[in-house]
Amino acid sequence: MTRSPWWSRTALVAVTMIVFAACGGTTSTASPSAGAATPVPSAPESVAPYEGMTYPESGEAPCGTDGYTGNVKRISATDASTVVFELCNPDVAFLPKVAFSPFAINDTAWLESKIDPAGTTNQAIVSEVNGTGPYKLDVWNRGSDVTMVRNDAYWGEKAKTEKLIMRWSQEGAQRLVELQSGAVDGIDNVGNTDFPTVEANADLQIQPREGLNVMYFGFNNAFKPFDDVRVRQAIALGIDRERLLTNFAAPGSEIATHFTPCSIPNGCEGEAWGQFDVAAARALLAEAGFADGFKTKIIYRDVSRGYVNDQNVIAVDLQAQLKTNLNIDASIEVQESATFIDNADAGKLDGIHILGWGADYPDVTNFLDYHFGSGATAQFGAKFDDITGPLSQGAIGTNDANRAPFYEQANNAIKANVPMVPIWHQASATAYRADVEGAHSSPLSNEHFASMTPGTRTQIVFMQGAEPPGLYCADESDGEALRVCEQMMEGLYAFEIAGTAAIPALAETCEPNAELTVWTCTLRSGVTFHDGATLDANDVVLSYAVQWDAAHPLHKGRDGSFSYFPGLFGGFLNPPPAAE
Amino acid sequence: MTLSQPSLDAAVDALTASPASSLRRDTIRNILRQRTAVVGLTIMLLLVLVAVFADVIAPFEPNVSMLDLGLPGTRGLPPCIHLLGCPADQTQHLMGLDSNLRDAFSRVIHGARVSLIIGLATVTVAIVIGTLIGAVAGYSGGRTDNVLMRLMDVVLSFPSLILAITIVTVLGTGLLNAMLAIAIVSIPVYARVMRASVLSVRESDFVTASRALGESSVGILSRRILPNALTPLIVQGTLGIGGAILEVAALSFVGVGAQPPTAEWGFMIASDRNLFFSAPHLIFFPGVAITLSVLAFNLIGDGLRDALDPRLNR
Repeated sequence: MTRSPWWSRTALVAVTMIVFAACGGTTSTASPSAGAATPVPSAPESVAPYEGMTYPESGEAPCGTDGYTGNVKRISATDASTVVFELCNPDVAFLPKVAFSPFAINDTAWLESKIDPAGTTNQAIVSEVNGTGPYKLDVWNRGSDVTMVRNDAYWGEKAKTEKLIMRWSQEGAQRLVELQSGAVDGIDNVGNTDFPTVEANADLQIQPREGLNVMYFGFNNAFKPFDDVRVRQAIALGIDRERLLTNFAAPGSEIATHFTPCSIPNGCEGEAWGQFDVAAARALLAEAGFADGFKTKIIYRDVSRGYVNDQNVIAVDLQAQLKTNLNIDASIEVQESATFIDNADAGKLDGIHILGWGADYPDVTNFLDYHFGSGATAQFGAKFDDITGPLSQGAIGTNDANRAPFYEQANNAIKANVPMVPIWHQASATAYRADVEGAHSSPLSNEHFASMTPGTRTQIVFMQGAEPPGLYCADESDGEALRVCEQMMEGLYAFEIAGTAAIPALAETCEPNAELTVWTCTLRSGVTFHDGATLDANDVVLSYAVQWDAAHPLHKGRDGSFSYFPGLFGGFLNPPPAAE
Repeated sequence: MTLSQPSLDAAVDALTASPASSLRRDTIRNILRQRTAVVGLTIMLLLVLVAVFADVIAPFEPNVSMLDLGLPGTRGLPPCIHLLGCPADQTQHLMGLDSNLRDAFSRVIHGARVSLIIGLATVTVAIVIGTLIGAVAGYSGGRTDNVLMRLMDVVLSFPSLILAITIVTVLGTGLLNAMLAIAIVSIPVYARVMRASVLSVRESDFVTASRALGESSVGILSRRILPNALTPLIVQGTLGIGGAILEVAALSFVGVGAQPPTAEWGFMIASDRNLFFSAPHLIFFPGVAITLSVLAFNLIGDGLRDALDPRLNR
């Protein structure tokens, strides 16, 4: 037996490989179509069927019964990329609502691992973030800054700058000094008297922001003497709002004729506020048994926001007006920001409180329902049926025209009951270094830093008015927290940059049925969270369910108030006794 | 020969009276010889006059906003002085209007009253309690001394402003509580000074004589030791007034001292801090007032120290 030469064996192997390659086969598996005499049936892929979550797991929410005031009936993941929202009543503002940052989507495993059902407040999720946004959390140096880095796996256009640092100072002057010195690239809320300084500086640019907000003086009717509507009406009549506007609001601000800014459809239906009549106010006080005035408190937080820059001067002027016009002695009480908001939501503010609201989405429900609707917090005490009724009706209208009569009723009832006195809609502005490209102010105060380029620098530093209380924005209501969240988290929809239109984000579409009671959202494919997990429909269902159901074991966050969900969707499922 | 108690007292009084008058004369003479002390005294005298006659000097009510003014730009209005060319048809505001449209000059004037009361009251409380503690500790010695002074050490071990903020946080914000807090954190300084003086005086012959004559401890402390230990307390107290004014201003600046609408200098700076760029005069004038008052008491304190120190007598 003779062995063939080495080159012949090599040639045979080479020819065989060429033939296989030509046939599209591989050397490891035989192709079923490679001329086999008997076709071999291919084994079916063993893909487990998608177990879509439905909430509530059985049945649906008891719309309009059993103390349930909410508008969400059921949320279902029909497949991995489809979520169906069934509502009790039509909701024409559904898209802007789901575009709002508290309704950002979290990963299921993240929620389950970062919220301890046995815990109470300040859960791990409050300080750790796993979103889908263009930036991801690097570190939150409490008391100093929140640093974010670019998410290179972002599904959309990547952030233009590698790093985003959010800093804060409640002092308008300090923010301006930091901007002038180049320590920061942008600041929020230029001080009222600092507009000319910024405008005159060629190294800076100012970006005006429309006054889609309201600043008001609130009363809680659970406390005397504010349980008497005549007292509240007297204060409304006895405060010179024009004087406040003229002296203390930023240029371009307007007096509030209604709680909602008039540029929002139906915001200014009904009677306008505006009377200043000290004699009538004193007569009302006398009628209520307070001819000689009374003692109370002016409670606020010393922070600057789009709706007010310097609350101290407002408080002092209010104090002076109350004393001079109505003989009311008011002491001043300043509370820490987060404490103040928590106290307001819990209905613990027993004096006149100074607060405001910036638009989260451009619909009247964002202003009226959140504050005075059936799902509102206890900020103003017991609800007013003549306000909640029309608001419920208005919310389910299908267009601006058929909603208008209800908002006229609601606005008139608000003016009659005076849960608060609206003062102004303040114009405000952000300011940036001149070389920041893409610099803008958002009318919703959610500036989009991923689209800005700070000259040749590799990081953009923005200074806002306060530190975010927490970064789990489902359980936050302070705009300073929401702005930070919005750089890292996304909802089904988002708002256009520097605008108010809701545009698709994690959902490619959300299509309603003809009655606007069923919204079917199709998720974008290939979206991953910062930790690499893939977005699917169950993430959406659980992200909403933990907010919606007050009895859900994961219904926990920083303080557990989740005030936006009931404010925007009418109420909690299984509301706690205090919220009923 | 024996002396009765009244005649002994008379003799002691006669012996001490003359040197005391001489000491007072020397002290005044020594103080007046020092230019810095004279400057301090002059400023203080002016402050006292301003405080006493604040209602007469101030052209407006310090806490009342110009409710009739509503023109844009009146907030933080710059000074309008007719002598310096401000139009006669405009109301004169020597230091302008503050952020709440109140006359800044009137507020600075009334602030003198508040600040002087703060300084004097705070130091008085601290001296009274500190003196008591120091005297008891120094005279008793032993365990009492040890316990009291270690307690003072504990208070001293905290930064005074931080401790004051803590106290105010517990007691509640407000000028009275801020003054109390500053007084509390100042007590150890006076207690230490008093104790040191008592220790040096208690072994003096006249104290031994009083003790031998059966005078009670309270009597010895109040009639023999305290009068002779007051000198360093006076110096320390004068210096302390300036410190107290500064610390209360600091507490008011951070929002835990004076509350609106009180015309207190530290609070005035805090209220108008955000007008730093557009109306810096609102920060400047109260700041100068604080500086001058603290400077005055420090100069007087230094002068007193030098004047009362026999080693520095010329």
